[in-house]
Amino acid sequence: MAAPVLTPITQALNDGALTRKELKALMRRSDWPAARRLVIWIAALLVTGSMIWLSMGTWLVWPAMFVHGILMVHHFSLQHECVHYTPFKTRWLNDVAGNICGFIIALPHQYFRYEHCDHHTHTQLKGYDPELIELPISVWKYLWYISSVPYWWAKIKEFSRHIAGHMSEGDKVFVPKEAYQAVFWEARIMAGLYAAILIFCIATGWWAPLWYWWLPVLLGEPVMRWIRLTEHVGRPNVRDMRENTRTNLISAPLAFLSWNMNYHAEHHYAASVPFHALPKLHEKLDGYVYVEPRGYLGAHIDIISQLIGRKPRSDMQGESAKA
Amino acid sequence: MNAQGRQKTWQDLIAVADLEQGDATPVMLGRRELAVFDTVDGIFVSLARCTHGAANLCDGYFDGRHIECPLHQGLFDARTGQPKAAPARVPLRMVESRVVDGRVQVLL
Repeated sequence: MAAPVLTPITQALNDGALTRKELKALMRRSDWPAARRLVIWIAALLVTGSMIWLSMGTWLVWPAMFVHGILMVHHFSLQHECVHYTPFKTRWLNDVAGNICGFIIALPHQYFRYEHCDHHTHTQLKGYDPELIELPISVWKYLWYISSVPYWWAKIKEFSRHIAGHMSEGDKVFVPKEAYQAVFWEARIMAGLYAAILIFCIATGWWAPLWYWWLPVLLGEPVMRWIRLTEHVGRPNVRDMRENTRTNLISAPLAFLSWNMNYHAEHHYAASVPFHALPKLHEKLDGYVYVEPRGYLGAHIDIISQLIGRKPRSDMQGESAKA
Repeated sequence: MNAQGRQKTWQDLIAVADLEQGDATPVMLGRRELAVFDTVDGIFVSLARCTHGAANLCDGYFDGRHIECPLHQGLFDARTGQPKAAPARVPLRMVESRVVDGRVQVLL
């Protein structure tokens, strides 16, 4: 067994940032908040999908697919919650919802769960955090990341590797041997289903998946990359959770899309707290975590300021500077 | 007789009234960190650290039967210590316990 670790939530309890009673109240689970949100979610998908249908055959189909795609790529937010088993009290519902979301955005759920565990253990530590996005070395590299080309290229390589039954050295760090076959078969089943749908489209001439799913996801992914940059990029590569993660205060519609994951520092402090309780946890941890009051835009101003030399680079501070 | 040759004895741990009702209570016994679970089937005691990531399980979500690790949401049956969901794989080490005169005792 590993040596005892001081988790962020234990640290926060020890520091008196919140009490055990408050924490336990915030952790309470229910199926209903997520069910209610999903009803609105599906209605929103129908609205944005209708925009594509109404604009088909005109140039307006492209902005319509982009808007629909923004919603589609935010299935990541629900999948991420499901990885933590927090949106639904009924545990298997989290597995079902997580796998469906993962299939929509091509993110294998089992693999993501193992990877994400290590992200929470080693948040923002270079060489240890498997989800770490390094502060780009230039504005061009920053734009290149947002383009999503490197993201999709890495995903193609990851799928190919797992379909072929191989684990990279990086994967072996966080995927236990007992789970190798599950990860391989998950990739094979997902790829097989994508191929079957594509063959069906070619055979029948029915191209709805292309217009309502695949193209929108490709168009929307840069928005998700832009949002994902705001969580940790530009914050120091240190273990201290008060420093290495950024909470972004954003508008209610954007928080709805992200399932409140903009309260990212609070989430890292207490990953067992469901999305619907994160605003309350934010009130409790006010002043304890790093908050960007200007939201996503403010986070990007911070990042770009570091890239153009107006602010010191965050990766030159703390533990990474000593490397 | 345990590995050190010392006879196991029943040791006083905590008053039942001081437990977090229906939840997991962290208790130190000497240098040992223990978790006392007030389950639907009675009181059970285990070592407090998750066998996967070594986080203190008492800070996790407890539904009366299962304790979820606060760090990675691995799941254990608090009554048997058996792992119920990844990344938990190794069972919790349970500690024999009883309630005498309103106090939880453990055999250690």
